[in-house]
This record gives sequence, C-alpha cells and structure tokens, in this order.
Amino acid sequence: MRLYTPAGLKYPIRVTKVLVGRDDDIETNSPLFRYSYTTVIEVNDPDTREYKKQETNFYAEFESEVEGKVTSINVKEKQIIKEPIAVAEIEEPCKHEVQFGGMCANCGKDMDETTYSTTVKNTERATINTVHGHTKLLVSHEEASRADDEAKRRLIKSRKLSLVVDLDQTIIHATVDPTVAEWQADETNPNHAAVKGVRKFQLVDDGPGGRGTWYYIKLRPGLSDFLQLVSQYYELHIYTMATRAYAEEIAKLVDPGRKLFANRILSRDENGSMNSKSLKRLFPVDTKMVVIIDDRGDVWSWSPNLVKVSAYDFFVGIGDINSSFLPKRPELEARPTNPVKAANKAIDGPTPDVGSDDTRDGDDISKSGDLDTPGSTPPVMNGKVSAVDRMVSMAGNCDEDSMKEKSDEQDETIAAQLADRPLLQKQKILDAAEEEAKTSPAVEAAAELLAGNGEEPELSPSVSHPKYRHNLLQDDDTELENLGRSLRDIHQAYFDDYDRDRAAVKGSRVAELRPDGPNRKRPLDDIENIPDAAAIMTSMKSRVLSGVHLVFSGVVPLGVNPLNHDLAIWARSFGANVQVKVSRRTTHLISSPDRRTAKVRQALKKGSRIAIVNQNWLYACFSQWKKVDEEPYRIHVEAAMSGKPGVDTDDDMQKYSPSTAREDSGALFDQSEEDWSEIRGELDDYLGSEGEESDAESVRTESTEAEAGGSGVNGTDENGQSRLQKRKKEALSRTTSLTNVVEAVVFDAVSSTSRPADDPGGQGSKEEVEEDDLEAALEAEMLKQADEGD
Amino acid sequence: MFFVKTLEHRLTLHPSYFSAQSQAYIEEQLYREQEGKNTGTMLIIAIIDIEDVSEPKVVPGSGLAQYDVSFRAIVWRPFRGEVVDGLVSSVISGGFFVDVGGLAVFVSKALIPPQLKFSVEGSAPSYTDNVDQTIERGTQVRLRIKGIRAEMGQMYAIGSIREDYLGPLMQ
Repeated sequence: MRLYTPAGLKYPIRVTKVLVGRDDDIETNSPLFRYSYTTVIEVNDPDTREYKKQETNFYAEFESEVEGKVTSINVKEKQIIKEPIAVAEIEEPCKHEVQFGGMCANCGKDMDETTYSTTVKNTERATINTVHGHTKLLVSHEEASRADDEAKRRLIKSRKLSLVVDLDQTIIHATVDPTVAEWQADETNPNHAAVKGVRKFQLVDDGPGGRGTWYYIKLRPGLSDFLQLVSQYYELHIYTMATRAYAEEIAKLVDPGRKLFANRILSRDENGSMNSKSLKRLFPVDTKMVVIIDDRGDVWSWSPNLVKVSAYDFFVGIGDINSSFLPKRPELEARPTNPVKAANKAIDGPTPDVGSDDTRDGDDISKSGDLDTPGSTPPVMNGKVSAVDRMVSMAGNCDEDSMKEKSDEQDETIAAQLADRPLLQKQKILDAAEEEAKTSPAVEAAAELLAGNGEEPELSPSVSHPKYRHNLLQDDDTELENLGRSLRDIHQAYFDDYDRDRAAVKGSRVAELRPDGPNRKRPLDDIENIPDAAAIMTSMKSRVLSGVHLVFSGVVPLGVNPLNHDLAIWARSFGANVQVKVSRRTTHLISSPDRRTAKVRQALKKGSRIAIVNQNWLYACFSQWKKVDEEPYRIHVEAAMSGKPGVDTDDDMQKYSPSTAREDSGALFDQSEEDWSEIRGELDDYLGSEGEESDAESVRTESTEAEAGGSGVNGTDENGQSRLQKRKKEALSRTTSLTNVVEAVVFDAVSSTSRPADDPGGQGSKEEVEEDDLEAALEAEMLKQADEGD
Repeated sequence: MFFVKTLEHRLTLHPSYFSAQSQAYIEEQLYREQEGKNTGTMLIIAIIDIEDVSEPKVVPGSGLAQYDVSFRAIVWRPFRGEVVDGLVSSVISGGFFVDVGGLAVFVSKALIPPQLKFSVEGSAPSYTDNVDQTIERGTQVRLRIKGIRAEMGQMYAIGSIREDYLGPLMQ
C-alpha cells in the first residue's frame, strides 16, 4: 500500500529524521519519520500579562497506518514537504481482498477496526459482490477480475457461455390460487387435463397467517428438453425477483438433480436492488459471455445481452406473483390467438372457425352482428401506470419503509389471490356463458360463438375459442422450442467468431515472432480479445427485421408514446424502424384485428404494399429470430381482397363494404365504389398528400373509433339503407367535384380565365353539391393565386 | 465449545395473563424466546432448568409485569483457533461455505491446501485433488476457526483447512 501524507498537515513540513529503511518490517502505527512544522500560537507573556501570537516549531511523527514490509521510502532528512505526496510503499502480508462478514477471509482479521491513523477503511478494499447466494462475501476489484478471467477460461475450454434465466413467466408460471388443487383432484373438471402437470410446494413462513402457502407451479411446455439442450451450450444461472426459499423450491422442480443450476441461484434476498436486475451483480467485470432470457425488458434496462421472451401466461389473469417488487408493467401483452393454431383447431372442431368470417350465414350475422372479432381481445390495460409512477418506482427507493411496503403489497396480492380465486371466478363466468348459450334457441354454432366470444371479451384469448370454450386453461405454448434454437444459434455464432479471431491472432503471432526472436512477450491474452456476445446478438437481431418499417395502430395504449412502448423497443432491437404514422416507406402495419383505425384504412388504400398484420406476426418474428411469412397473420384482408368485412366498429366502412349488399342490393354501388377509390387514389398521387392524417389524429384514434363503434350499432338496422345511399351520393359528388377542381386548376393555369366566378352561378338544387362546389371554387382560387404568385 | 452457563433474562407479561398460571406463562415464554437464540457471541442450545423467577413488578405506565428470570442453559460458543466439524453448504470458485450449527464459516481458497483444485465437472462445483479428497455441497469438513465476528443475532467465521488432519472427513 502506498502511504501519502494527509492533506490536514501544517504544510510545509520539514523531515528531521527517517526512522525506517527499505525492507524493514513495521507494525501498525509505528513511526516512519519525524518532522517539524511551524505554526502560530498564543502565548501568555508573563511581563505584560497578555496573550500574544508567536511562531513556534513543533515536532511530530508520521505513522504507518498498515503493517508490513517497507519496499520504498521516498523522504530524506531535511527534505521540505509542501503538499501531500507519496512517502512510502508498504507491502502488506495480506491485502484483505476477500472479506466475509466483515472479516478478511485470508487472515481472519476484523475489517471494521480503525485506528486514529486510518485513512482508508479496510472494508472499502473489497466491495464487489460476486457470489450468487451470499451477500456477506465481498471481493476487491482485482480479485473479481481474476475470478472472472478464470471463469471465462473455464467456459471457453468447455465451449460454453453463461445464460441468466429468469423464473416467473419465463420458464414457469406460478399461482397460489387453491382452485388449481381442486381442479387437479376433480377428474371431471374441464381444466383437469391442463392442470394435471402442475406441481406444488409449500413455503412455511410465507404468506398471510404464517401457516404456509401452497404454490402451484406450471412448467412451460418443453422445459426439461429446453434446459437439457441449452445446458450443453450454456452454464445456467437463475436470477429472480422472488424470495430465496421460493427460488430454491423452483430450482428443485425444474432441476431435481441440481445438475443444471447447481447453486447458481440469485434471488431478491441477495440482489441488492429491489426493482431492477443488473448483470453487474453476477458478472462485475465484463459481460461478454453472458446471455439473458427474461420476459421483462425494462428491469434489465433493455440490456443488449437480453433475449426477451414472451411472457408465459398459463394461469389466466394471474400475472407474475413476484412482480410487486418490479416496476409495474405498463401493459400486459394481450395477444390475439394464433391464427395458425386456431385453424388447426378448426379442423377437428365441428363448428366453423370463427377466425375466418366467410363461413357465416345470414342467421349468424343477425345474432352475432355486434360481436367482437372472434379470437381477439382488446389490449388489456393491466396497471395503467403514469410516467411519474414509473419514475418513482424506478428511482429505486430501497429504504426499509418502501421494502416493507412492497413486501406487504405482495402479501396482499397473495392473500387476495387466495381469497378471490380468480381462476374459479373466470371459470364460473365461462360456465355461465355456456349455460346461457345452451338455453338459447339458436343453432349450436351460433350459441358457441356467443359463448366463445360475445360475452366475455376481457377473458383470455384462449377462452374465446368455441371448441375449447369450456376450459379456461390451455397448454399450448411453443416459445421454448424457438428460444432453444435461437440460443443455439447465438452460441454457434459466438464460437465461430471466437475461432476466427483466434486463427487470426495465431497467424499474426507467428508472423511477429520471426523478426523479434523469442524474447517477444506473449501478445495480449486471448481472454481479453474474446468476442462480445452482446454485439453478436445485436447484429444477429438487427438482421431479422431490417428494412421493415413499422407503424402501430390500435396496439399501443392511449397516452403511451408508441416509440417508447415495450413492443416498439423490442421491435427496434430486431432492426425494425418504428414510425408514428403511415408513410411511403411503411412496409408493415401492426394493428388489432377488431378495430379498423384510420391508419388501417390509410394502409388499405396503398394496396398490397403495406402488410397489415396483427401483433402475433411480430411475436413470431421475435421468437423465431427471422422474418416470418406474413400471410397467416394478415388482418383486414377480407375487406381489401374479397370485399368481405371483418366485424367493423366503424359504421362508415361497414356500410360501404359489400357485405351489406344483402341489404342494399345494387351492383351499381359496388362499381361506383371501386371508381371512387380509384379516383381518390389518383387524387392522392396527384396531390402527393399521403400522410394526411395528423399526429394528433393518430393519438385520438382509439377514442374516436370507440365512439364511432357505439353509434354504428344503432344506426345500422333502422336507417342504414337511406343513410347509406345519401352518403354515397355525397361521396360521389364530392369526388367528382374535386376532380373537377383538379381539372379546373390545370385549365386555369393555362387559360387564366376566371372560372371560379362562374361556379357559384351554376349551383344546383342539391345543397351538398353547392357546398362542395363552393369549397372547390375556393380551393381553385387559392391555387390559382399561388400560381400567379410564382 | 459447549458450556453450561447461568443466564439472566428479563421478561414482560401482559396484564391479561395475570392469573394463577402466570408462572407457567413466563416459563413458556422463556423457552420460546431463548432456546436456539443466537446472542452474537454464543448460541443457546437448550435450557436445563430455571433457577429463579423474581417477584413480578408492574411497569409504571404500561401495566405489564416484569420478571427477571435466571436459568441454566447449555450454550455453544465458538472460539478463534478452535477445531470444529461442519457441513459444506455451497462451493464457489473463491472457496466454500460451511455451516457449523448456527455459525456460517467461509473457507477461502488461500486457506485450502493447494492440491485441492476447484472444478465444475458435471456442473456441480467442488474442490478436489482427484484422488480421495473431494469437497462439494453436503461434504462433512473439519476446520480450524481463524477469525470470528458477531453481529446482532448472527455470527460469521473464517475457517482454514490448510493444516494436517483438517479437511473433508471420511464417511
């Protein structure tokens, strides 16, 4: 340790005698040298009996704060020291680089002991926590790097990477709802098959009453295969925000032999932070060989090492029971059912798949006319969190109170879940809906439609399928398969890179050795030049959706900046470009299937250039790490292609679409509508005003759509026909007049006759026409003026 | 090391328990609170007998009765330099942790004989010389306490097996 003269001395000081030499062994607080200094003191003068100031010399000793062997002493006798300098170097017998519970792990000394000469506390020499299960073991930075190097060498030798695995909703889903046990015991229960594989354990001093709570754990399908596969390529670590006891129990379930995770388990008891996870906790030195899988990106601050997986939500509506310590999730990932799966089910189901509307007959329409689009849910706003709340919770106030509060909060959640039995309630609702459907005189198909999706749109997507309408829980998750594949690819890419680098280094080393001879020192250790997994993942990911320009519509909740939404961040990490509004470059519109927003309409106009798909397309891309075929995910295609409508909340569009042609049987209108869109398309091209929707509009979309939906239902049956025709006329006249204007402008520019003056004179008997002509005239005039101005 | 020690403890009793059974309540409370308690320097293993229960005094202001109880108990107190046996609770690259009763002991790499090397074969970490000595989770180990430190209700110690006759025990 290097010793400095402290800043508090009365400089300048003069060294009077050096007391130790090189290689002397010294004790703590033994003097190194004596020095003198001058200061002003007040002295009582016996003659005048007054105090007066007087300069005096004092002598003092400089003491070593540590024991050890003096390796160098940098002061000489009579030297004058004017400022703090390094005066000696002491080699300590123990540097206290590893400390356990406030003691040095190597020499057993108490690290909290301080003396009057201490400048650096011994506890500050080791501050890094590297061990999973213990917070009391701290090491110094040097020790941590040494351990890290060793670990990396070991990993490279066995050609593995480190994988940090989250538990809740990533590889398992847990609930405390006792309904699960009842369903497990009851073989007649429709959910019996699904919950058969659910494991359980009891934590004794946890939960309300301290009597112990049973936890029901559903392993994600394919978990053991996944872990077996991944453990060939990775060293696995558990990093969870649950308690230690819980994490241990889960580890026992997923890894009974303790072969995969061993004791590499980090729980919130050892984490240090209550609301975020940090790789620095486990890998304090560098994270080049680390990959994370987690269902939450925000807790990792979207670390580049993160492979975000979609949340596993088996127990519907339960969420993450250990999430009260995390910042609130801004929005649950509400996902429409996978159309591919839905289609598969449709094959063995007796009823037509409601996902494709074209099998409906007139009967169904009349009964289920106001249904939501089947197989979908509106985005569920779980916790509507304001930005401020989020900031507060992110700010990490880890004081006792907030921890207690959060612990209580979690206890409450668990108590509430025990008492409310959300699963049972949902199943009851489901059963009630089913009963209702059975008693209805309608055909079975229609009844099932109702039971499936009409009554409970807020239920999980899985509920809405008619074939499985009677059971709440579904065991159909395939995320791990894809995840395993992605992880294997990352591993392969990493070691391909590594081998290439090494080959290059070896070549250059041979070349360098020749001129210099054997005394050349070994080039930098290959440990320092290993590739960075984060960089490899980033480049692999950014290739997935490169060239894709996304616009979200009806997906991001109102009031959330669409560019900062989880989905957008996630998409960007895969190389997609996220835009706020539809523009020329837009290639994909991510929309919800049940609402036809302005952006959807806008995109439809562009024809096949913009693929309108639901969120599942994105999720599929994310999980498979490739740009999957859009075809199965397309929505709103009916209207664009065959002219069949989705169930539309927008009354305008519904009326114009030919499905209502039953009510208004004119083939003429179909014809004219095509003309109309053609003309409008031309006009758009001419004026070049593609992105005519304003920013504000895109934000407002949801609410206006909702209103439109409400009014649309009422208006359809009674005066749909007359209103429809009226509107068509309006539209027709408007477009014709507009095209007139276009022509007129062209004309005007050439002949500069005062056409606008004529137009008001030629007003017809129809008011609308008059209005439109007026507008047209004004516009033309303005354009003309602009032209003249040029 | 184990000792029989006379200890004193002050207990309070809520007025609702004031009855002929007060004495029994107090004794029950003493057993509940003291047995298994880690005082920071020692661990109270078991109470042998209660020597004396003082006359209760009502605490002014609260109404609780205060008893001073003296009792004999078997206590365990580890000392620096003592050789103890324990069970390995986890092995890490920098050493391993041993539970010696209620005492958490860490044996660092520097205090493990150099022939024992860290390995993670089969993914379960261990210190082994690849002959007959292996230290992994669950192994019984004999060690010497090099340093000991107490915090409220918790004791920590540093252990060493770098001496003759210390290390994993043959089972």
